[in-house]
Amino acid sequence: MNLYTSFMLITLIILSLPLATNILYVHKNKAYASYVKLSIAYAFITSIIPTTLFIFSGQEMIISNWHWMIMQTLKLTLSFKLDYFSILFVPVALFVTWSIMEFSMWYMHADPNINQFFKYLLMFLITMLILVTANNLFQLFIGWEGVGIMSFLLIGWWYGRTDANTAALQAILYNRIGDIGFILTMAWFLMYSNTWEFQQLFMLDNNLDMLPLVGLLVAATGKSAQFGLHPWLPSAMEGPTPVSALLHSSTMVVAGIFLLIRFHPLMENNNNIQTLMLCLGAITTLFTAICALTQNDIKKIVAFSTSSQLGLMMVTMGINQPYLAFLHICNHAFFKAMLFMCSGSIIHSLNDEQDIRKMGGLFKAMPFTSSSLIIGSLALTGMPFLTGFYSKDLIIESTSTSNTNAWALLITLIATSLTAVYSTRIIFYVLLGQPRFISMPIINENNPLLINPIKRLVIGSIFAGFFLSFNILPMNTPQMTMPTYLKLMAMAVTLLGFVLAMELNIMTNNLKLKIPSSTFKFSNMLGFFPTTMHRPIPLLNLYMGQNTASSLLDLTWLEKTMPKIMSKTQMTLSTTISNQKGLIKLYFMSFIASALMMFLLIS
Amino acid sequence: MKLPILTIIMTTIFTGTMLTMISSHWLLIWIGLEINMLSIIPILTKNQKPRSTEAATKYFLTQATASMLLMFTIVFNAMHSGQWTTTNIDPNNMIVSLTMIIALTMKLGMTPFHFWVPEVTQGVSLMTGMLLLTWQKLAPISIMMQMFTSINPIILLLIALMSVLVGGWGGLNQTQLRKILAYSSIAHMGWMMAILTFCPSLTMLNLLIYLMLTIIMFTMLNMNTNMTTLTLSNLWNKSPTITMMILISLLSLGGLPPLTGFLPKWIIIQELTKNNNIAMATVMAIMALLNLYFYMRLIYSTSLTLFPTPNNIKMKWQFQPKKRSLFLSPLIILSTLTLPLSPVLSTLN
Repeated sequence: MNLYTSFMLITLIILSLPLATNILYVHKNKAYASYVKLSIAYAFITSIIPTTLFIFSGQEMIISNWHWMIMQTLKLTLSFKLDYFSILFVPVALFVTWSIMEFSMWYMHADPNINQFFKYLLMFLITMLILVTANNLFQLFIGWEGVGIMSFLLIGWWYGRTDANTAALQAILYNRIGDIGFILTMAWFLMYSNTWEFQQLFMLDNNLDMLPLVGLLVAATGKSAQFGLHPWLPSAMEGPTPVSALLHSSTMVVAGIFLLIRFHPLMENNNNIQTLMLCLGAITTLFTAICALTQNDIKKIVAFSTSSQLGLMMVTMGINQPYLAFLHICNHAFFKAMLFMCSGSIIHSLNDEQDIRKMGGLFKAMPFTSSSLIIGSLALTGMPFLTGFYSKDLIIESTSTSNTNAWALLITLIATSLTAVYSTRIIFYVLLGQPRFISMPIINENNPLLINPIKRLVIGSIFAGFFLSFNILPMNTPQMTMPTYLKLMAMAVTLLGFVLAMELNIMTNNLKLKIPSSTFKFSNMLGFFPTTMHRPIPLLNLYMGQNTASSLLDLTWLEKTMPKIMSKTQMTLSTTISNQKGLIKLYFMSFIASALMMFLLIS
Repeated sequence: MKLPILTIIMTTIFTGTMLTMISSHWLLIWIGLEINMLSIIPILTKNQKPRSTEAATKYFLTQATASMLLMFTIVFNAMHSGQWTTTNIDPNNMIVSLTMIIALTMKLGMTPFHFWVPEVTQGVSLMTGMLLLTWQKLAPISIMMQMFTSINPIILLLIALMSVLVGGWGGLNQTQLRKILAYSSIAHMGWMMAILTFCPSLTMLNLLIYLMLTIIMFTMLNMNTNMTTLTLSNLWNKSPTITMMILISLLSLGGLPPLTGFLPKWIIIQELTKNNNIAMATVMAIMALLNLYFYMRLIYSTSLTLFPTPNNIKMKWQFQPKKRSLFLSPLIILSTLTLPLSPVLSTLN
């Protein structure tokens, strides 16, 4: 025996202590926030040990604790699967969460309910860890729903604001639509494979129907905001910035992709599902990148950037590279969380101003934040040898050299260049130029609670990619040979994006303001997706419901069909038959006519 | 009408029908029918009103056409088969069998030749109407019962079904009692003819019970000369017994168990089902409900509700009834209480 299981369980226990000690009223204490932060820091350290063990010996483990119930032939247990994916994800998630907790101690320090905030964040983290370490679909679903609920509570943190409530509801609804696919998959597996355990599922028939895989895809679309179920992610920016940093950049939204990664043994045999994932991811990444180009809220731009990167992860799944997608998840967590934290720092310093048209000239005023912002953007766009490079560039190379959909590849490249465009846009509007904010804000970034987390994540943004790539075990053969132009393509399009965006932005200083073109309107209104989908479809559904219940059922079936029609028929018939006026000639003619008809009938 | 003339005419009517019923030569049958028709015309016009004259004209035209068709069929049959017996009509001879059916159903007043029945019944007095609907049916039915083997069953069933339908729907729209009873006669004819090709004894049974019930109804209506539903509604004060009897007789006419009127319907449905004719039986049974409905309406206005009346109606001077009520009591008993006698049917051939 070794320390693997003990340390993993210690990690989980440390994390749940602040919640479990609720009965001792620790959460009424003013120091609760730093207590939680400290627990997460310790949990991070204890979780490094199993990870190191894994890196050096490749040991994976399944901890099966509690036998919950047996339903005829289905056994439900509490079991943790600590394999490549969960072992590597847990420290990353804990590290990022630690930084975010420290940051939110600065950001939310004026909030009277700050203890509740930390409790919610902690609960979110625990459910996220349940999700990634689950060994059966049931436990995964518990974590899945748990992160959904916590997302609702956290997005609607400032519940006095109607927009926040609407956004929280929107998040829940879209996630629920995705859950339909999840439950479909669970039901299918229950019926046809008679199990919910991953080991059993992967051992049985590997050539599956489309149905369960499509169900998983729908679930991922809902949770990871792929195109079709994406509007909740930008709306979720109504929540406080730490929430956006934790949930909607690093952890929750990758849950959908994580689910697909977990099921990669079933997906690698089915070409159709890979094509679906590829096309869906390509559409998502391009669409959200286009939408990000004309947004004016800094958090929304970063949210769309997250959405675009999620699309990229889906594309990676589509070319059958789950390990690359996972690497991108881990790398992305670092720089995206940091981008959010920098935005939070800027927002708070400018007295809660979120519109980039009212920011500017912060390069000299907030040096640390702007440096980290620039580093984060460079990492995001895939600058060579920063974090993003190690996963993003590999992804672009793999897509370029795989014999797959050329259209999807083209779309992805365009989206990559657009990434550079909107990153440049942020930098230009927020940091450069003359200040456009109101005079006399208290721009202060001296608080160590703010600086330290960003500092940690900056180091992570620069080195984590290198660190991770050189320590993980290679699980499949990487693509080694390709033509030079393909190798340089990612960098080329990114540079193109940078240059183009810089040119355009500088031009806006000199030119007259034009009426927005229709392309601008398309991009600014998020492709009119929320406008067309949010109201008409539920309205149609409600109309249909009302019509079915009252008109169809009550009025027609119960009232008109039998009673009214019966009475009407009888009355009409009786008046027709007894309507005689004594027209003898007519009667006799009818006699002749009937006689003739009878003749014809029997002849 | 003076008594001797009435006696002669009544005797002639009686003779005509009897002649038709007892003869086996086609010519004599036709003669009987003609005598019957001609001698009932003065009875129809006994009332000396233009309405009765019109009714008599309609009746004469229809019956004359029917007799003419019958004559044509008789001669055609004599030409083709060379004999004049009633029972030997060739069923394969389409013209003969079809025209025979047309003629006889026209005489009976079945659909599609039913248009004259309500108008004629309405135009004459109650007792004459009774004669029309009861005695006049005897002769044609006796002919049909003699030649039932050569009738095309499909045509007859079609006519019967249509008669039941017309009788049901036509009676729904009426408030005049004579027209109601006319449509009821059309429907009952339909029931009788439906079972003719399967089991003619049941036709006889239905006819018997129908005759009894119609005689009762007309007699009771004649007691207070009730022609409309409205006048019926005053009956509760004048003669409560009649009110009760009308209730029971109408229910029996509608075919409600445990009254006797249920017996023919029941047995007819059973016979139709035995011959695998379930659809027909179902439709006829459902249509009989309509009949029952407009009888119930009459019952409703007589015994179940009191229409609004001025107060001095309740204080009527009760006189002795002057109208004759022949055999009313035994007929009522027979036509409502004899359902337990149904095993007697097993003695019929």
